Amino acid sequence: MSSYVALLDGGKREVPVEVRELRPGVYEVRTGEALHVVDAHDYGEHLLQMLVDGSCRLAVIDPRGNGQLRVRIDDSVFPMEMLDERKLRLRRAAGKFTAEGKQFVTAAMPGKIVKVLVKVGDAVREGQGLMVVEAMKMENEMKSPKDGKVVEITAREGQTVEGNAKLCAVE
Amino acid sequence: MATTGRKPIAKLLVANRGEIAVRVMRTCREMGIRTVAVYSDADRGSLHVRTADEAVHIGPSPSRESYLVVERIVDACRRTGADAVHPGYGFLSEKATFARALVEAGITFVGPLAESMDAMGVKTTARANMKRAGVPTVPGSEGPIADPEEARRFADSIGYPVMIKAAAGGGGKGMKRCDRAEDFAGLWASAKRESAGAFGDDRLYVEKFLEKPRHVEIQVFADEHGNAVWLGERECSVQRRQQKVIEESPSCILDEKMRQAMGEVAVRAARAVNYRGAGTVEFLVDAHRSFYFLEMNTRLQVEHPVTELCTGLDLVRLQIDVANGGTVPRQEDVVRRGHAIEARIYAEDPAKQFMPSPGRITYLRIPGGPGIRDDSGVYTGWTVPQFYDPMLSKLLAWAPTRDQAAGRLVRALGEYVLTGITSNVNYLARVLDHPAFRSGEYDTGFCARYEKELLPRADERLEHLAVVAAAIQQHRRDRAEAEAFAIRGGSQAATSRWVKLGRSRVLRGGLR
Repeated sequence: MSSYVALLDGGKREVPVEVRELRPGVYEVRTGEALHVVDAHDYGEHLLQMLVDGSCRLAVIDPRGNGQLRVRIDDSVFPMEMLDERKLRLRRAAGKFTAEGKQFVTAAMPGKIVKVLVKVGDAVREGQGLMVVEAMKMENEMKSPKDGKVVEITAREGQTVEGNAKLCAVE
Repeated sequence: MATTGRKPIAKLLVANRGEIAVRVMRTCREMGIRTVAVYSDADRGSLHVRTADEAVHIGPSPSRESYLVVERIVDACRRTGADAVHPGYGFLSEKATFARALVEAGITFVGPLAESMDAMGVKTTARANMKRAGVPTVPGSEGPIADPEEARRFADSIGYPVMIKAAAGGGGKGMKRCDRAEDFAGLWASAKRESAGAFGDDRLYVEKFLEKPRHVEIQVFADEHGNAVWLGERECSVQRRQQKVIEESPSCILDEKMRQAMGEVAVRAARAVNYRGAGTVEFLVDAHRSFYFLEMNTRLQVEHPVTELCTGLDLVRLQIDVANGGTVPRQEDVVRRGHAIEARIYAEDPAKQFMPSPGRITYLRIPGGPGIRDDSGVYTGWTVPQFYDPMLSKLLAWAPTRDQAAGRLVRALGEYVLTGITSNVNYLARVLDHPAFRSGEYDTGFCARYEKELLPRADERLEHLAVVAAAIQQHRRDRAEAEAFAIRGGSQAATSRWVKLGRSRVLRGGLR
């Protein structure tokens, strides 16, 4: 039997899950109060088809790196992480070191900085545009995650940046 | 097909990338024409390179240094002996200088004459030409405006909202809606940058924004023998940031009389500029069902398959026929039947303000079945580059009625599986299922008006199933890993040379 914890809503909610294989391809799964017997079959790398009480349900399980999953059933998509005990302990320990104050703004995608809208020392409001990034011919504004002051700017206008590159910091 | 006795095209270079390059090459293959692809650094592994017979590298990833460089395309033609170029849409497709450079090099340009492109390509010139030909136009500036201050004063004078548009524009790039004078300077600067980046031309002009307009366009086709026909309309009012998302034909607001009138005006517009080949005359239709000339696109449109499904014609084949000196079908031979809808699949995240989502496609399953057509430029394992338009594919449905076509397209979108990057597939299904779309009562404000209803929503009753699926998958992975570890460990022990040596010593008293 395997025990996991599903992290939902960006890690804010934990749902424990237990999986036990009854016979090949058939599992007993306990989530919270509910108990399901599921016949599961892989229909390709990211497609898991489940027979739940005779109903066919197709899950598209899309791994996005860093253990992040996007699980789609019909047209509903659920972002989550599936952690075992050990990973959960590590995650909880790491959580204690998360800095409350200084927040880095990172590029959501690879692209080019076309405009920096603020300078160090500027007071900014949550949601205010900090810089304009161009990717795939469209311009997008990177917004401040919180009310505060710009304490650091690492990106220059005209610079090409990778996805997740640090652009500036707001404290 | 009447011909002029010139040598027909034998090898065609497609000066484009992605789905449209693949689309053009497919028809070439059917016609027995050899194809040449061009590609940038980022596109070595692009689907169009695999589809072509020959391929030429034309430079670094940014389009300014590859797909937009006229000399590199001409040079690629020389090197491969291509006798014709199909420009696709975007990139150099509406650049008269490109058409001229090809003609000078003795290469056929599959498109209109450079003079017709001059007359229509710069939108402000086009408006003046159309006014002269008696085609109604939207109120706006006579020509491009250089000074942002002057442009703002002009906008003030015609009243807000206004549209800031790229003179060289198309496809929603460099186009901004401005509602208030105080936003004008920022939007102007942004439109200028986008326009320079997308078209290598940053001239802008200002036009009055019509309230609740619908975007209806007419496909026209003309040949060098003086024949011009219209092939029906496409309604493209489902737009997001001036970018078309869903296109359909026929349009719900046209009756046969209005359709006929618009078709005839479109043909008149094409004739006024001595047009030849495939062209699209775009109109805005206001709440009173008056129509105004918006622009003429002197190229094949992204949404051309909508017309292909309704008429049964292959527009790329028709383009090549016309380039070879052939004739277009007679107007009375053009038959339209049923209803076609196209949905554009973009690599973007509707939940994050439609932020582009480049990256690697880890799995792709394309739907099929009755009445479905997929024009795609991607495949499983392809990394969608950040340098180009985020459109991945166009999915179309045809059916005898509009309701059936919409239902069919929703069904197909449900079958679409794309992992690794985020797409707008669910968003498109919500648009098609929306009561306003189904009723046919929608205009270009549709996406903005119903923004919240169209956003992805997760049905929380399905959450536990998602958790169950992910847990089973994780359990299987953990088990497989454990078994692989055990096998490795076990087999190693069994085959260890030391164990063998020890055993043989015991059994035989030493290795011989």
